[in-house]
Parts: sequence; structure tokens; C-alpha cells
Amino acid sequence: MNLYQARSHSVLLISLISGGWGVRRNLNELGIHVGDEISVIRKAPFGGPLVVENRGHRVAIGKRLAEKIGVEVLR
Amino acid sequence: MKIALIGQPNSGKSTLFNAVAGYRSLTSNFAGTTVEYTCGRARIAGEVIDLVDLPGLYSLNPANPAEICSREYLLQGDWDVAVNVIDASQLARSLELTLELRELKVPMVVCLNMMDEAARKGIRIDAALLSRELSVPVIEAIAARGQGIVETFHAAISADRNQFATASPFQYPPEVEFAIDRLAGRLASQRSEAALAPQSDTSGVDKTIASTSRLAAVAPPVVVVTAEKPSVQARALALQLLQADPQLVESLGEFTAAAVRESSEDLWRQTGQYADAAISSARHAACINVFKHVAQVTKPRHDWREHIDRFLMHPFWGYFFLAAIFLGFFRLVFDVGQIGETHILAGFDRLIVYMGQFIDPAGLVFAVLKGALLGTAGAFAVVLPYLVPFLIGLSILEDVGYLARVGYLMDAGMHRLGLHGTATVPVLLGYGCSVPAVLATRILRSPRDRFVAAFLAVLVPCSARMTVIMALVGYYMGALWALGIYALNLAVVILAGIILARVWPEISPGMLMEVPPYHRPSARVVLLKTWWRLREFVVVALPLLIVGSAVLGVVEFFDWATPINTALSPLTGLLGLPAAVGLTLIFGVLRKELSLLMLMQALGTTNVMSVMSAAQIVVFTLFVTFYLPCLATLASLVREVGRKLTAAASGTLLVLAVAIGLLARAVFHFLS
Repeated sequence: MNLYQARSHSVLLISLISGGWGVRRNLNELGIHVGDEISVIRKAPFGGPLVVENRGHRVAIGKRLAEKIGVEVLR
Repeated sequence: MKIALIGQPNSGKSTLFNAVAGYRSLTSNFAGTTVEYTCGRARIAGEVIDLVDLPGLYSLNPANPAEICSREYLLQGDWDVAVNVIDASQLARSLELTLELRELKVPMVVCLNMMDEAARKGIRIDAALLSRELSVPVIEAIAARGQGIVETFHAAISADRNQFATASPFQYPPEVEFAIDRLAGRLASQRSEAALAPQSDTSGVDKTIASTSRLAAVAPPVVVVTAEKPSVQARALALQLLQADPQLVESLGEFTAAAVRESSEDLWRQTGQYADAAISSARHAACINVFKHVAQVTKPRHDWREHIDRFLMHPFWGYFFLAAIFLGFFRLVFDVGQIGETHILAGFDRLIVYMGQFIDPAGLVFAVLKGALLGTAGAFAVVLPYLVPFLIGLSILEDVGYLARVGYLMDAGMHRLGLHGTATVPVLLGYGCSVPAVLATRILRSPRDRFVAAFLAVLVPCSARMTVIMALVGYYMGALWALGIYALNLAVVILAGIILARVWPEISPGMLMEVPPYHRPSARVVLLKTWWRLREFVVVALPLLIVGSAVLGVVEFFDWATPINTALSPLTGLLGLPAAVGLTLIFGVLRKELSLLMLMQALGTTNVMSVMSAAQIVVFTLFVTFYLPCLATLASLVREVGRKLTAAASGTLLVLAVAIGLLARAVFHFLS
């Protein structure tokens, strides 16, 4: 499943980042890599972005970008 | 001595800079861009140092223009020591840039900023241990409270240059090291061949080294380039190339591209990842290890700020507070501005009367001086009283961290207009004044987004156009009609956004933005930021207003209004307006509210309704609302998006204004 399908407050493991160099680059720069454990803090309504926390660091990710991130649900 | 401040966005770099450099600092643009950096001078420990505050960057392999400029500056090496500012509460992530800098073996000092924030999060960092791990000086600081700043600069001044060239850099896992070494070896051998045969132009590698990353300037010159032991430069270049955009690599010539491809494929086979991801992941893992080694994480202290976002980012209440905060903000700006306007205008009126006692009021000199004074009055009384509180408020909202929340809340809606949530702020600012709105588009990543946001921000009626709408349509036809004009404008803005999104689709894949914790705003930072933005207005717009108004004085003196009105009569005739309004439209470009003041003058009455029909008033107001942005806005548009796009935008607006004016005229014609 992709990150955008995840529920609020779930804890996830990033298994895949698809998309081109730019997408990987932008995510990696903000400290988001394959193998990281992240949690979904909140989700905006109407197809808005979601906020994820990665080691105490919060990032808002838009829908189209979140759909490029594959995740496994840990809890 | 020159010190470069470098760090990730929101690391508190500018706080450190502002604490020692202050208001005389100069913002300059990187050549050929609107990306800015700030230079200042400070005296520390009896030594005068030049400080350069570079735009924040997350890594040395960046994707956006501001970050690329920072990297170029760093790699050109026109500085002595780098101060790497780190957010201690985000230590693991921040170290990624630090490791990249260490890889370059440049003289540097780490400033471990925001130690209080880290403590609140329950993170205890052993700075001495971190210093040994990285083999660079590490200084703890809380820059917002002035702690550790002088110590940081002391450490930078007294840093031992040689220490950095010899200390061993951090090691990547074997497969990554192998790929780097292999590529570095090939680049180095190619380079020494080129050195042996300088006349041969078959090798583009030297040029590659010089142009793509200019690493030659940074790396210590003593290192001998040999095939067996790749130099620091070749190694650093190899690292950069492996992580670079594949498209860019392909453009560097067959030899380099083939060598990079080979090493990338090695990495792909060994790790199952793209080269850039493999290297980034390895660095990421290394940083987490360093973090675990030097930091102890205990239970975070209770933080009331955690609860704010439950309201401010709430799916319903979030929008409620958004509306309340911005309405309150505009109300405040309007009230403060009005007080300022009344008092300052009165002062200028007295000055003009006073001037009449010394200079013949019937002469040309008086006309020109009066015009220039009125222009100055316009800037100081009509623009600045609104702009100053507006910019202060904006800086506070920005410094507190609220603007990131606005971006989050508005992202879904803005995507319908082909923009990210981040673009909300410039467009909203357009309701105040178009000049800061256009300048605010700098926060956006792609040039396309910057143009679209600037165009929509200019389309939105600014406070000057609001005075025209209120004083003409609102006063003569009622508040509902004025509200109708705002509604019509909003519809046009949305439609324009949708059309622009079709014609010029967005390319960036989606919003990605840090959501920083709330900070208490620092008065010094807020005031300095306001001052810098204000200085821009003063430099760009003030001269235009003064000269333009002086010209208006001359036009009035020689009574050139009639030929100008005749020249414009095709336009005014088309819209069904009296010919006398022609001149007011020209001068409306100087300042939008001038078209209102001059309308009364041109028509020779203060009761507009007696000479213009309701239809004419609506058509005139609509035309003034949409046609061209004022000169100050045009000047800032040229700075931000360039001449071509400014011309295109102006042409579009003019056509749009005529079309809307004609439409309104037709509607009134059929109704009557």
C-alpha cells in the first residue's frame, strides 16, 4: 500500500520510494529514506497533505508525493 | 577573514547571523537569479570578520535553485571557514549535511544550536564526544537567547586549517566505497592523462571538474593526483556525480557518463538501490549511528505547543482559525495604516502650503516640486503606513511557524489552481499590497509556480484598488455592489488559476514541507526582516513614485491632458466611458488610488454620479481593478519573474480588463 492510504496515528515502515531522481532527492534531503519508521500524525481533508513524523521531525507530504511512497503497516 | 554560515533550513542560521551582523548587512543576489544571500561584517575578539549567510540547504546535492546557489558558493571556496549550524533537536537528520561537508575536508566548525529545544525533547547530547566523532570543533548554543554565539565565532577564527585536510573522513559501507573509489580512479586517471597532453581536447573531464562542481577550488592543492590513491577532489567529485541527476550526468560527455553509469550499475547490483539512494541511505544510517552514540534520549518534557496543532491544523477548526487570524491581521493593518495615513498626509499638506510662501505657486518649479512632494506623500502616507505593520505581522507569522500550517491547510484547494499549499501566502498577501505579495513568491520552488502565484497575487485587488472600489461603487451604488466586485474578482482569480494550470501544468510532484515546531518570535529577527523587505520597497518603488508624480505636475501645468485623452479615446469610447477619464487611467498605473483622486479632478466634480451613469462607474471600477499593476508592482515583477513574463502578464491583464469592462457594459445595456 502507499503512504496516502495509511490511517492517522499508524506507524509505518517505508518499503519503497518510486518516482524519479527528483522525488528521491527531495525526500532523502528531508531525512526520509527506505527502511525508516514513520508515524502519521494527521491528514488534511479533501485530498490534502498528511503530516508524518520521522525521529521527532515533522514533514507535510502532499497527496501525489505520498502516493509514490510504499509502506508497510507496523502498528 | 570570511566565514560562511551554512545549515539546513530552520536551523537558526540567520539568528546567529543577525545577532552579530545587524542592520547594515547587505542582501545580494546570486548572479542571474533572484536567490539571495546576506553579507555582513562583525568585530569579534578584535578581529573584523566578513559573514556570509547562505540560503539553507538540506544536502550538497540539492534539487532547488536556492540550494544549488548555496552549494555553488560553497564549492567556489571564496571563504576561509564554514560554520555549520545544526538544530540539536533534529541532530540525526542535520548531521547528514555535516558529513557531506566533512567529506570535502574544508575548515569548519559545528554550532550545535537550539540545545534548549533538544532538552525539551529529552535529547541529551555529549558535544565533546560528537566533536571527536566528527573530528571538528563542536560548540553548544542557544542562538535565540544569545548563548554560544561568540564562542562559535571564536572557534571558527581559531580553527586549525590543517586539522581538516588530514583527519580521516567518514567511511561508507564497502560496496559504496568500492564504487566511489573506482569512479574516482577513472576520473583521476583521465585527468592526469589530460594534464600530460594538454593540447588534446578529447577529454572533457577537466572541464567537468571545473564547471559542474568546482571542487578544484575547495580541495587542498597539495594532494597529488595519482591513479592508485584518488585525491580528495576526485573522490568528492565521484561522490557528487554518483548522486547527481542522471540527466545532468548524461550531458557531461561520453567518458564521464559511461564511468558514472558503470559505478551506478555496480551499486545497483550490490544494494538493489539507485546510486543516489544507496549513498544517501548509507549516510543516513551513519548519522543515526553517530546520533545513538553521542545522544541519550529520555522522556520528553510536557510540551504545551503539541496541543496547538490540534486546533490550528484541525480539519474544521483549522480553517476557522485561519480565517480568524488573517481577518484579524488585515483589520489590524488597516486600522494602524489609517491612523498613519491621516497624520502623515496632514503633515505633507502643511509642507506644500509652506512651500508656496517661498516659490511662486503659478510657476513650473512649484508644479514639479508639488508633484514630487505629493508622490513622496503617497509613498510615506498611503503605502508605508500599511506596508510596515503588514510586514511586521508577516514576519511574526513566519517566525512563529504558522505559515507552514497555512500551506498544509490550503494545499488541497490550491492544487485545483495548479499550485501547492505553500503558494497560499503570496496570493493572500495580494489583498494587502501586490509588492510584498510578489516578493513573497520566492518561497516557492519552481519558476513556474513562482510566476503563477505572482500572477494570481497581482490579480487580487490590493488595498489601493480597494479604496477605488469602496469610494466609487461602494459609495455611489451600495456595499453589496462592492462585495459583488470582490466576488467577481475571486471568480476570475480561480478561473485564471484553472486555465493557467491547463496551459502550463505543474511539474513538481507534490508538496513537501517541513512543519517546524512553534517558536517564540525574536524581536530582533522580526525587525531586521521587516527592514530588509522595506528597504526593497524604498529602493524599487519610491523613486518611481516621486518621478512619476513630478511628471504629473508638469502635465497639469502645460495642460497636456486633452491630447492624452484624445489619444486614449478609442479605449474609453469602446468601454463607453467619458473621454476625460483617459488620463486617470494612465496615472492609475503610478498608483492605483491616483485614478480615483484624479477622476474627481478630471470630471471637475466631487459628485461622480452627476456626470457618470451607474454602468460607467461599474465599468470604470472593474477596468481599474483588473488592468495593469502599479509601477512598483511591475518593478518587483520584473525582478522576480523577468521582463518577458512581466510583459506577458501585463498584456494578459490589459486584454482581460477590456473584456470584463465590455462584458459589464453589455450586461448593463441589456438590463436597461
